[in-house]
Amino acid sequence: MKKTLLSSFVAFGLAVLPLSAQAGTVTVKGSDTMVILAQRWAEAFMKKNPSMKIQVTGGGSGTGLAALQNGTTDIAMSSREIKEAEEEKLRARYNTPPTGVAVAKDGVTFYVNESNKVDALTVEQLKEIYLGDTASWKAVGGADAPIVLYSRENSSGTYVFVKDTVLGGDDFASAAQTLPGTAAVVNAVAKEKNGIGYGGAAYAKGIKELKVKKGAEAFAPSAENVKSGKYPLSRDLFFYLRNKPAGDVKAFIDFALSAEGQAIVTQVGYFPVK
Amino acid sequence: MRTLLVALSLLSSSAAMAQAATPQEALPSPRAAAPGEAVEPSTTDVAQPSAPLPPRANAPTVPEASPSIDERLTADEHRVEALEEQNTETKNDLSALKKLRFSGYIQARYQYQEPLDDTGAGGFSRFGVRRGRLKATYTTDVAQFMLQIDAVPAGVTLKDAEATLFVPGTRQQLSLTMGQMKWPFGYEGPQSSSDREFPERSRVVRNLLPSERDRGAKVNGRYKFLRLAVGLFDGNGTDSGTTQDNDKEKDVVGHLGFDLKWIAGGISGWYGHTLGRLPTDTFRHAYQRSRVGADLQAYFDVVPLGGTSLKGEFIAGRTYGAANNATHLDVPAHGWYLLLVQNIGLNDAVGVRYDSFDPHNGQRDLAAGEAPGADNTINTVGVVVQHHFGENLKMSATYEIPTTHVVAQALDPHDNLFTLQMQARF
Repeated sequence: MKKTLLSSFVAFGLAVLPLSAQAGTVTVKGSDTMVILAQRWAEAFMKKNPSMKIQVTGGGSGTGLAALQNGTTDIAMSSREIKEAEEEKLRARYNTPPTGVAVAKDGVTFYVNESNKVDALTVEQLKEIYLGDTASWKAVGGADAPIVLYSRENSSGTYVFVKDTVLGGDDFASAAQTLPGTAAVVNAVAKEKNGIGYGGAAYAKGIKELKVKKGAEAFAPSAENVKSGKYPLSRDLFFYLRNKPAGDVKAFIDFALSAEGQAIVTQVGYFPVK
Repeated sequence: MRTLLVALSLLSSSAAMAQAATPQEALPSPRAAAPGEAVEPSTTDVAQPSAPLPPRANAPTVPEASPSIDERLTADEHRVEALEEQNTETKNDLSALKKLRFSGYIQARYQYQEPLDDTGAGGFSRFGVRRGRLKATYTTDVAQFMLQIDAVPAGVTLKDAEATLFVPGTRQQLSLTMGQMKWPFGYEGPQSSSDREFPERSRVVRNLLPSERDRGAKVNGRYKFLRLAVGLFDGNGTDSGTTQDNDKEKDVVGHLGFDLKWIAGGISGWYGHTLGRLPTDTFRHAYQRSRVGADLQAYFDVVPLGGTSLKGEFIAGRTYGAANNATHLDVPAHGWYLLLVQNIGLNDAVGVRYDSFDPHNGQRDLAAGEAPGADNTINTVGVVVQHHFGENLKMSATYEIPTTHVVAQALDPHDNLFTLQMQARF
């Protein structure tokens, strides 16, 4: 009986073990902030490597990291650092510590309508606005009009960044309307003269970007200020992997970090890490 | 759409002309017939603006008016705005629902154990449902509610019922939990059974942390790479056969851990008492119930096949409740395990575990005839192969070979165990 049992056991093992990933295809999923950037990288990379296929989709940082846990993506794009719980799940599932690679920098930008008189706010003022404690533009030097808040969905890394960095972990005012992507936030603020929203710097076209005041000075989310750290709301944009980069995945990440890849970062409107 | 707008235009033009001619009189108009429907004589059915009016004889010809681009855009914008409002409303509803999360898993098994001795006694071949968990978690910024039940053929039992307060301003890094929850002790005890490679926890954990849960209150805190969880518990666990504490004292249980990504671990402590009576006691006596433990987990990425993890834990304690509510009062015991898991690609893994448990430190091995003593050390070697079918289904085959210390004429029981398990999780 022992032999029979052991044979069954080995047969089961042999039946289920040899499965390998589809070679030549790298899937990239996650942060909406990073989708355009990753698509540009993918296009340039595939031109150089015609046999390779890079598939890029958005969905939000949380979605990308969940896909990484489920084995449905090779790279998770995330505009925030991985959470401890996510890291633990990855370790439990794949028995390896996940790797995070900072591939670009972003200045989280607050947008207001072009007609808004307000040009700059402190982080504290932004906090009060998004907590709902400041409800009128008049309180921060603008018109006597109610502030209309726009926010991202909680699966977004930008949402988490603003919640942690600006709101100090507190929750957004319940009046804040959640929108599915940064482009939707920009569009809403462009239409609503009393609106305020936030997102990646790359999307801030056609509306006014707020400067952030630090002491007497106000800093725009420019490349120089983000790189120098003067702009207080800058963050890294990450690629997360289940393990160390290898093979096709490594080749793609190496390209993103190369001079050519980092030039694309600048073209798209973000800031290089190298 | 264009046809509809033209029809509306015609309708409004005709109505306007009719009104101009006879302002006090409502014009009777026939109702438009549906395809296949007989046309009925009209009555005073004038309140149907969507029904196109047939051209009347001698009526002036109305030129076809098509809406301008601006009109069409405005109409479309209104439509989009209406959809946006509906979308916002739906999202508001969904955002509340998003805070409530249901999860769960089922572990269904086939197990085969050899007859324990050469007479053919003992052993089994059986199907079973080991765990059928359903968990509801509702999380807000300041609070979390968690309820988990276990529905198996033997009945439905409560596993967890926790109420947690996230201390404001700590970004959920500091929390207070009350209710029925897992003891914050060691690694394998608090680990979810759905994440574990082997069907059951190692023998030392099963004996020194039976049921892994208890009623109490605990504080969880994190600071950089350090983690602390410490709490006050009844101490008897949920499998002790009683739902009430049997003494007024509380057991203090805690774990101080670190997490440096590729290596994590910690030390655990437990101190408390429980009332009980040994055969030599006249009255019940408060016996010390204590444990100390250390655990370490390391994750490597050196083999090209996939990740490798090495996990180990040591626990020593006095007074413990083993299976079948048997309480070993004032008995010192210890055990440890070492587990090596190798991932093969994304969906497969193999693991080997060696675990050792001495139910009574310092007691020499005993035997009763051909059977070894109940307190003899048992060492178990186990091998597991597992495969993930997508994200929801895991299948594993495990073979475990326990070896009981024997003396004199005693024989190691033939208690090797094969377990084939399917785990579905959502």
